[in-house]
Amino acid sequence: MKVAAVLRQVPDVVEELVIGADGRSLSEADLMYVTNEADEHALEQALILKGRDGAHVVAISSGGDEARAALASAVAKGADEAYFAPVPFASRADNHHLAATLASVMKGAGYDLILTGVWASDQLDAGLGGLLAAELGLPYVGGLTSVSAPAESAKATVRKEFPGGRLGVMEVDLPAVLGIQSAENPPRYVPVSKVMQAKRSLQAQTIPPAASHEARVHLRKLTKPEAATRAEMISGSPEEVADRLVRILRERGVA
Amino acid sequence: MMSADVENGMVPSDATSEFLRRVYELPAGERLLSCIQCGMCSGSCPLGYAMEYTPRKMIAALRAGRIEDLYRSASVWLCVSCYNCTFRCPSGVPITDRLIGSLRGDMLSRGVGVPAELQAAFEKTTRYGNPFGESPKKRPDWTKEAGVDVRVLEEGDSAEVLWWVGCFPSYNKRNQRDTIALARILSALGVDFGIMGSDERCSGDIPCTSQGEEGLFFSLYEHNSDQLRNRKFKDLLVGDPHAYNAFKKEYPRLGTPLPVRHYTQYLAGWSPELRRVMKKELRAKVTYHDACCLGRRNAEYEAPRVLLESVPGLQLVEMPRNRENALCCGGGGGGNWLDSFIWQRTRVPLPMQRVQEAAKTGAQILAVSCPLEVPRFEDAVKTAGLEGRLGVRDVSDILAEALGLSGGPS
Repeated sequence: MKVAAVLRQVPDVVEELVIGADGRSLSEADLMYVTNEADEHALEQALILKGRDGAHVVAISSGGDEARAALASAVAKGADEAYFAPVPFASRADNHHLAATLASVMKGAGYDLILTGVWASDQLDAGLGGLLAAELGLPYVGGLTSVSAPAESAKATVRKEFPGGRLGVMEVDLPAVLGIQSAENPPRYVPVSKVMQAKRSLQAQTIPPAASHEARVHLRKLTKPEAATRAEMISGSPEEVADRLVRILRERGVA
Repeated sequence: MMSADVENGMVPSDATSEFLRRVYELPAGERLLSCIQCGMCSGSCPLGYAMEYTPRKMIAALRAGRIEDLYRSASVWLCVSCYNCTFRCPSGVPITDRLIGSLRGDMLSRGVGVPAELQAAFEKTTRYGNPFGESPKKRPDWTKEAGVDVRVLEEGDSAEVLWWVGCFPSYNKRNQRDTIALARILSALGVDFGIMGSDERCSGDIPCTSQGEEGLFFSLYEHNSDQLRNRKFKDLLVGDPHAYNAFKKEYPRLGTPLPVRHYTQYLAGWSPELRRVMKKELRAKVTYHDACCLGRRNAEYEAPRVLLESVPGLQLVEMPRNRENALCCGGGGGGNWLDSFIWQRTRVPLPMQRVQEAAKTGAQILAVSCPLEVPRFEDAVKTAGLEGRLGVRDVSDILAEALGLSGGPS
């Protein structure tokens, strides 16, 4: 069983996002990157399959140089192979481009399962898994919370939580692309010393970007959200705040 | 799979032998061999009653070659690094630093039994240099509210005093009040001081709080010692006793000796001057809680008391358990992140016991000198129903009031 886990590097929103001078992109100098949260779950699910069924796990990280750090951490956690897919800054939010790039190394490489996070915070359209499946001609199912694929089996059994509190159990023919919402357990911790060790000895193969890709979706403008209604911040001593609150509630006829 | 002989305790497991070999290589690690199984540690431990394996039993299990039993138990994660056991052990076994610290390190690297809350704190500290996951750039944001000029020392700059602010004092809203108080006191005394701004990271008080993440400590040490080396100063001032311990004990061990002083020690040196200028009377009964890392761990009991006694009108009273016998606030050893984990197994939070002890003295104020204690004790005051009767205040905040430096930006 050969399993790939895709680790996209996305802007870390702990730092304030700054819109660049062109008004269409984020200012690169102010950005800090982090592995997409759902992708961390995809890796965890792959590692669970390794522990349970002896799967061979390949971590593939995309983005800028910081993707190498994500690979070191994946190897320290137990990934067997590492691939780095550099994506130029301008194409970072383009799922079509990323799917084409990733498909170029996945095609014919013998993967039984390709796991991605069901969505990424820099795109929100949950597009990568489906596009990748289309590029590879494989089935896709997303929003999963568990995957079981015993060695030598031709199918994977997956679970998906539907809104309204219903759980679906599905069988998928292998090979397949799966979009992971959350792994069966939270992403494991790996001590810093092991990550450092992995960083020093990391051997990541680089995936060349897909050729002849023409973007057909164009970002026109990036802005801060416009405030629809004004919020009033009440300040002062607890007594003053309470007085003001009571007055507002009376005015609105609530109390 | 363990063999039957290992399972029966006939031969030690490989993991046990490996573990002990590593501990014996650490400074004073071989003292584990001199344990006489007297049980002083287990009796002194404020959470020993809830431990399936008390420190004495942990050593007994290791001697029986059964480290796997400890992997399966939560006991190792109940330690809050109060140092009672280490302090009282008649054989000088470094229980907190070597036994607990190494067991945690071992479990971390094997990925067994580590509480998720602690992992989250480690991950955030690794990534952002603080356990809250706050932006490193926002570390010096509190200075905007200080009302006095706080200089950020860039690489190559120098100041008489380099003030290491710390994570809680920098980011935690409640602690910022005390941080600002200290900034104003230093400024009022005319001290030439500066901070490192966003170049500061968590001091890595991890070995001292025995959390076991040595690799994380080392990477923080490397960053911080580089940053400190690039600035000139005579005194390194810290507000957090854990940082004090890390700089005093762990950084020199790795080759970076530092002239570190806790702010209460530094200000105690100014107490004649402070006495002269403290105008405002603070008519209150105050009891002081000794922080484990400042007291038991580093034998500083007097400086905070000297400062409190210099405040006009203030009457200092003692809790029955004071100085080396002080009860821990429960925040060390990663305990601050493990409150619910520990509560599920103990049901009697340490900070709650401590604020009840403080209230029994008749004191209106519980004075503290460690930033973790302010939010911990304030929460405990609320749950213990002592609100309005007992206030929790940092020594710096009390001094600032007596100096007339409290209130909005001046």
